[in-house]
Amino acid sequence: MAIFLRRNKRLVPYLLLAPGILWLLVFYVYPGFQMLISSLWSGSLEKGFTFSLDNWTNYTEALSRFGGYYLRSIGYAAAATILTFLIAYPLAYTIAFKGGRSKNLLLFLVVAPFFTSFLLRVISWKIILGDSGIVFGPLKDLGLLPEDFRVLATPIAVISGLTYDFLPFMTLPIYVALEKIDRRLVEAAEDLYAGPWRRGGAIAGIALGGGLGLLLGQIFGWWPPFLAVGGALAGALVGAFFISESFVRVTFPLSLPGVFAGSLLTFIPAIGDYINAEFLGNPDTRMIGNVIQNRFLTQNDYPTAAALSFILMAGILVAVAIYARALGTEELTAGRV
Amino acid sequence: MAEQEQRALGTLITRRRMLQGSALAGVAAFLAACGTSGTSPSAAPTVGPTVGPTVGPTVGPTAPTAAPTEAPVQTPSAELNWANWTYYIDIDEETNRYPTLERFGAKYGTKVNYQEIIDDNDVFFGTIKDALSGGQDTGWDVVTLTDWMAQRLIRLGWLEKLDKTNMPNFVANLKDRFRSRSWDPGNDYAAPWQSGMTGLGYDEKVTGPLTSVKALFTDDPRWRGKVEYLTEMRDTIGLTMISLGLDPAEPDRAGCDASIAAITAAQDAGIIRDVKGNSYAEDLKSGDAVLAMAWSGDMEQAVVEKESLRFTIPDEGGIIWTDNLLIPRGAAHKYTAELAVDFYYDPLNAADVELYVYYLCPVKGADEIMVEKQPDIAEDPIAFPPAEVQARLVDFGALSEDDEKYFNNQFASVLGVG
Repeated sequence: MAIFLRRNKRLVPYLLLAPGILWLLVFYVYPGFQMLISSLWSGSLEKGFTFSLDNWTNYTEALSRFGGYYLRSIGYAAAATILTFLIAYPLAYTIAFKGGRSKNLLLFLVVAPFFTSFLLRVISWKIILGDSGIVFGPLKDLGLLPEDFRVLATPIAVISGLTYDFLPFMTLPIYVALEKIDRRLVEAAEDLYAGPWRRGGAIAGIALGGGLGLLLGQIFGWWPPFLAVGGALAGALVGAFFISESFVRVTFPLSLPGVFAGSLLTFIPAIGDYINAEFLGNPDTRMIGNVIQNRFLTQNDYPTAAALSFILMAGILVAVAIYARALGTEELTAGRV
Repeated sequence: MAEQEQRALGTLITRRRMLQGSALAGVAAFLAACGTSGTSPSAAPTVGPTVGPTVGPTVGPTAPTAAPTEAPVQTPSAELNWANWTYYIDIDEETNRYPTLERFGAKYGTKVNYQEIIDDNDVFFGTIKDALSGGQDTGWDVVTLTDWMAQRLIRLGWLEKLDKTNMPNFVANLKDRFRSRSWDPGNDYAAPWQSGMTGLGYDEKVTGPLTSVKALFTDDPRWRGKVEYLTEMRDTIGLTMISLGLDPAEPDRAGCDASIAAITAAQDAGIIRDVKGNSYAEDLKSGDAVLAMAWSGDMEQAVVEKESLRFTIPDEGGIIWTDNLLIPRGAAHKYTAELAVDFYYDPLNAADVELYVYYLCPVKGADEIMVEKQPDIAEDPIAFPPAEVQARLVDFGALSEDDEKYFNNQFASVLGVG
């Protein structure tokens, strides 16, 4: 074997790739092809399904009836991705730069929730956010919240759930990117008079915080101007007092590959998720995954379910391609440092 | 000592005999699986040890094939695979065993592989449909599914016909109300397992006593935004039809449209918080919901945990549904499955199940035995609804495939997925 490989060096990469490619062929390409075929079916379970290219109308019908669900899913997944980023970045930064000896422990704590099943974690959110649960119950008893206030069965609950579920997927890649940054680059920037960001930071903070607040407010359907003003204020404070020029010019750009990977790992599963919308939301917050589940399992409407899945998959592929182009794949893959 | 030895020897012999039986049953199962993979769903596995002698030694290859005159003897198989819902059979809480199943196993020398694997008709259907449409054994000999799913499986020809000569208890003890179901008039495919009621579940401390189904559609500050409907289409549309004065026993598209309009109006008015499966019971207990469409068995349990909860069949009426024991086409152990169904139509065994699950029993004579064993149960309105309550219960009528599609498609908007 060893001699064979030495003589045919060109074969080595293919042989190394073979298991992965085989796996993808069997469990991704073939089912994907099956799905494409069944998306062009017509008929019913009891009368039988027939394939015809004329059934491309399945796609247009699915889009015109369920288009809104794609938009909602994109909105929820985007909001969840932004929130996970806002939470995960400082966390990863702290672990990477200030973690010291407890780095491993902190990383373990980030991953620890994964030892519990996904479903259980979602259901515990239901208990925590309950109308008279441990968070809102006491606040209501004190009269700080109106009796009919609730978070469960609203978009906020669904997005919070998504944010929580995918937090480690954002934290770990960012941590890895930050960890491998050469600290001497930061020192060099400081030697070259990189100080606190002050005015630039305040302006950038107002713009970013205000924009994010407005966006989240729109998606939540919850006080957009209030969130925009709050976000702008918070952004200004953070930008002016907590961010240094060396971070803006050195650390953050070098951590972008982690941000890119983390946001994909969060956004893609979040957009297709149906568990959070099912358990934490209500009929006003269902996502495209719930529609596909209902079409497939309850209605036995396999063609529409397959068409919806295919549209989702194609849409994600295109979006990822555009995103990669925008963030610059070459920089990401080359790992400039 | 001697007696013990003898007994041990006895079990040895029966075990050996049983192994022979199971080998034959295995062959029978294999043949049955081949035989039923075609178009005849009712072909029963009839290969038994005594088939041979009926063919005379002088019969040549050209002789006309005479039908065997005596029925072939069938033997129970060594295993039986049964899919059921959770908490749907008697369980010995200390040992986590199923006493009646063990009695059945001891009687016929069968090891029952009993799995609490079903928690949704549609999801379970998804797991068996490919095998059935391909003419293969699903791996299950008995499955427990609700009326409407049984109807679909009958329409698809995916069930084995019950051989009632093996089922004297079933023939004798099935309650009369199940003997003329429009979709299975001769009781050829479905043996009722349990029935349950769908009515109002509410927290009396918050809502006060309720008797009308209209409460579910009334905007009242006491329950505004804390009302939950069920994801089971027939329960939610059925109760809504009742509130509109329509008859769920005769569901039609006009009734469906009217119901959807009424539900949508309630959703738009902010009365309804969510549309849910079993988890409505958790919400009633936590206070996230105070009024819900509810299932009788769930509520029996919920009341134990929160005393202010109530279950009522509304004055206008409620829904009754039934889960049925069915034998999927090509089942490997059809004969044993029939024995198992028949075993549970012995009122003694049925009563033992009932005293644990607290649903409505389809077996004649079981109620009397239950009261004998546990006298206070006669006072329990959920396990023993009074006659005037039972008279108000309606079966949701059968739907054709096209109508079922129409109903489900309209109902998707209530679920928020269409």
